[in-house]
Amino acid sequence: MRKPIHITAPRPTLEEWAKHFPISKASEKALQALVDEFKAMHSNRGNEPVSSIEPEKRRKRASAA
Amino acid sequence: MPPLPDPNGVFLNIPYDEEFSSLYVAYIVGLCQLDLVPHLASEIPGGDRRLNRIFKLIQSCRYSIHDLSRVELSVAPTAVPRFNMPLELGMTIAWANLHPSRQTWFVWESEPYRLQRSASDLNGTDPCIHNGTAEGVLRELRNAFHRDKMPSAPDMLGVYRFVNNQLNAILLRNGTSNPYDRSVFMELCRLSNYLTEILRHTKPAV
Repeated sequence: MRKPIHITAPRPTLEEWAKHFPISKASEKALQALVDEFKAMHSNRGNEPVSSIEPEKRRKRASAA
Repeated sequence: MPPLPDPNGVFLNIPYDEEFSSLYVAYIVGLCQLDLVPHLASEIPGGDRRLNRIFKLIQSCRYSIHDLSRVELSVAPTAVPRFNMPLELGMTIAWANLHPSRQTWFVWESEPYRLQRSASDLNGTDPCIHNGTAEGVLRELRNAFHRDKMPSAPDMLGVYRFVNNQLNAILLRNGTSNPYDRSVFMELCRLSNYLTEILRHTKPAV
């Protein structure tokens, strides 16, 4: 097994991401809603790994309660 | 000579089929979380011959991932082998041999030892085995690439699940059922990047 390649290049900035992947204003708005949903889920769970707060799991927990 | 490649660019040479879509999302999310920039042949506009456009894309990326996990024959009645991915891998290997500092390529498979049978000329190459699962793709990305302050494996998986759960809504919004469409690919990359930024600012990296 080969060693992982250590990436030392600077991380792309948000502006560079936007340049690589241009999207419409409407898409931008829709994604922002998803980002807000993710943020809310994440802040509700503190430092718990986000893999344990996926919507499906949250629904199951809610229905079991 | 083409300009130097994007040091964060990764050319994704993957099968464009419905069954592969969850792994496709895992590749996008995983690469974005490592702050690597995924590129697909479908993102480049038409005009030039398709093979020329793909070659330019390969040349513009510092790394490439060639997923040969779907080497079986396509569905009958056409039932032909899928040559596109090995063809693009061959082009990449030739380019990397000529300019090793500009291109590093990886072969990915779902089953161990199958590559030795399907492409024995690649013996001596260690493929990344993802076992046909999204978790496997994320694990192998972490094995292939390392960057300071990477997100944890559970966080990567959590972001993948969140993004994958949104795929149908993104398809609907873009008026397509094809997850490999340019517009869908762009949105998946942007969403993955946004979520990575949130994690970076709220959780300690490992």
